[in-house]
Amino acid sequence: MMNEVLLIGEAPLAEEVHQFFRNKKVKVRTLSEVPPYENGRVVAVMDVTAGPLESKITDLQMAERLVASEVPIFTSTLAYCATRLAANLEHPERLSGFSPLLLQESGVLEISQPLQAEDAPVWEKGVHLWESWGKRVEILGDEPGLVFPRTWALMVNEAAWLLTERGAESRDIDRAMKQGTRHPFGPLEWADRIGIDQVLWILKGLFEELGEDRYRPAPLLRRMVYANRLGRRAGRGFYQYEKMEVGKGHA
Amino acid sequence: MKAGQICAVLGAGTMGGGIAQFLATAGCETFLYDIDEEPLVKGLESIRARLLRLEEKKKLSREARESVIARIHPVTDLSSLSHVTCVIEAVVERLEVKRELFAGVEKVVDDQAWLATNTSSLSVTEIATVLHRPERMMGLHFFNPAMIMPLVEVVSGERTDEKVAKQAAEWMSNLGKEAVMVKDTPGFLVNRVARPFHNEAYRIVGDGVAEKSQVDRILREAGFPMGPFELQDLIGIDINYAASVAVYEGNFQDPRFRPHPAQRKLVESGALGRKSGRGHYTYDE
Repeated sequence: MMNEVLLIGEAPLAEEVHQFFRNKKVKVRTLSEVPPYENGRVVAVMDVTAGPLESKITDLQMAERLVASEVPIFTSTLAYCATRLAANLEHPERLSGFSPLLLQESGVLEISQPLQAEDAPVWEKGVHLWESWGKRVEILGDEPGLVFPRTWALMVNEAAWLLTERGAESRDIDRAMKQGTRHPFGPLEWADRIGIDQVLWILKGLFEELGEDRYRPAPLLRRMVYANRLGRRAGRGFYQYEKMEVGKGHA
Repeated sequence: MKAGQICAVLGAGTMGGGIAQFLATAGCETFLYDIDEEPLVKGLESIRARLLRLEEKKKLSREARESVIARIHPVTDLSSLSHVTCVIEAVVERLEVKRELFAGVEKVVDDQAWLATNTSSLSVTEIATVLHRPERMMGLHFFNPAMIMPLVEVVSGERTDEKVAKQAAEWMSNLGKEAVMVKDTPGFLVNRVARPFHNEAYRIVGDGVAEKSQVDRILREAGFPMGPFELQDLIGIDINYAASVAVYEGNFQDPRFRPHPAQRKLVESGALGRKSGRGHYTYDE
């Protein structure tokens, strides 16, 4: 029998996660597809939504009712720490925070343990699951954004500030970061690939949880999200794109 | 401007030597200036050794190597620079030293000659105000090693003539560099946007989110050629710290750029990276 995961989230990230599990021969179900308590094959819940908090909690609570009590739940911890999200579950010790970014290309998976799962043997189950899917699991402390998303979003933020100040042009910013310090993508084109909304969630999450000005999102990023300039998928972000076909060209 | 620039590079250290080698290889007559014979001889020796290695690797013919060397003219007297068309300064990162040097240079060179500083942490604007004609002064920020790294930031100070900066950018492109135009803000472009890559790594470790080796591993997996800690060990933690402090101070201590005390501790303890045998990691001699 094929294993199943219960996926919460929307394109483009959900698409990517979907693809990852297709390759692992794991069936992906969505919340509306899983009838209550007929789900012995669901081995994990994957919530890839960054926010907002209220709908994340609603979805996680619904998912929790649909699966057995020891099934691990993974939730995107880009904007909220895992402890905060776990506090809303009946079985908080089975929750892990994780980064759904770069799921296909990276050999590592970033995971954080909520305070409620300390000394809970059931929590380890989730780690083994990812190992069985071929990931090297990096267990991290519980702050929003973990390692890659936090580092990346702050560089995008700085590039957005620089752009706001007309310190340089977009294409020059991207070219310079690739040529001058050999980053794989320029920060702006990279943000367009992953999504401006994701960048903003990470920054807002750090800003709120850590309470420091260094994480204050550049107002330009907020305006881009208001205007739905979310990046490639939306046809426009820092750059303009031909509208892409759904299911193609993930980050 | 025309390919036939006659250049002067001021300072025969690592950056100056690299820039002179690049210019001479690209076909420019290049005067290499330093205040004394000794640093000049040392700088020239390094250039010769690098060119010889290129010849050994068959990347340069013997004739080409000899003509590159022949295009570099060592001088210790500013008055020898009277007919250069372009000056690139790469001396010690001290404002007063640079200002004094440019004041001297301006007396010698033609009114139309471009003047450029390779500073990475000082204000181009502030260096330029020592000049009578600051509009022909700009930053040309090369990356180490200058003869290899393709990028050059062409930095416009407050009083730089945009036309001059554009021409300089074109000239650099013609010589094979990737030139980007940037305004004179602390850290310019690359050092500024890369700041979080380094500073936030200390935060992440300080907050107990990850170990240094985890940070390096995760960021390498994400596509960066090196993680921040192994990269700092390579370039020197003190060098990296100085860049962070310069950007922080240059922004009136904006918390966005605040360096981490753990980095200062490392510098104070002499753990500077590979060059001192230990930094974030330990290295065998």
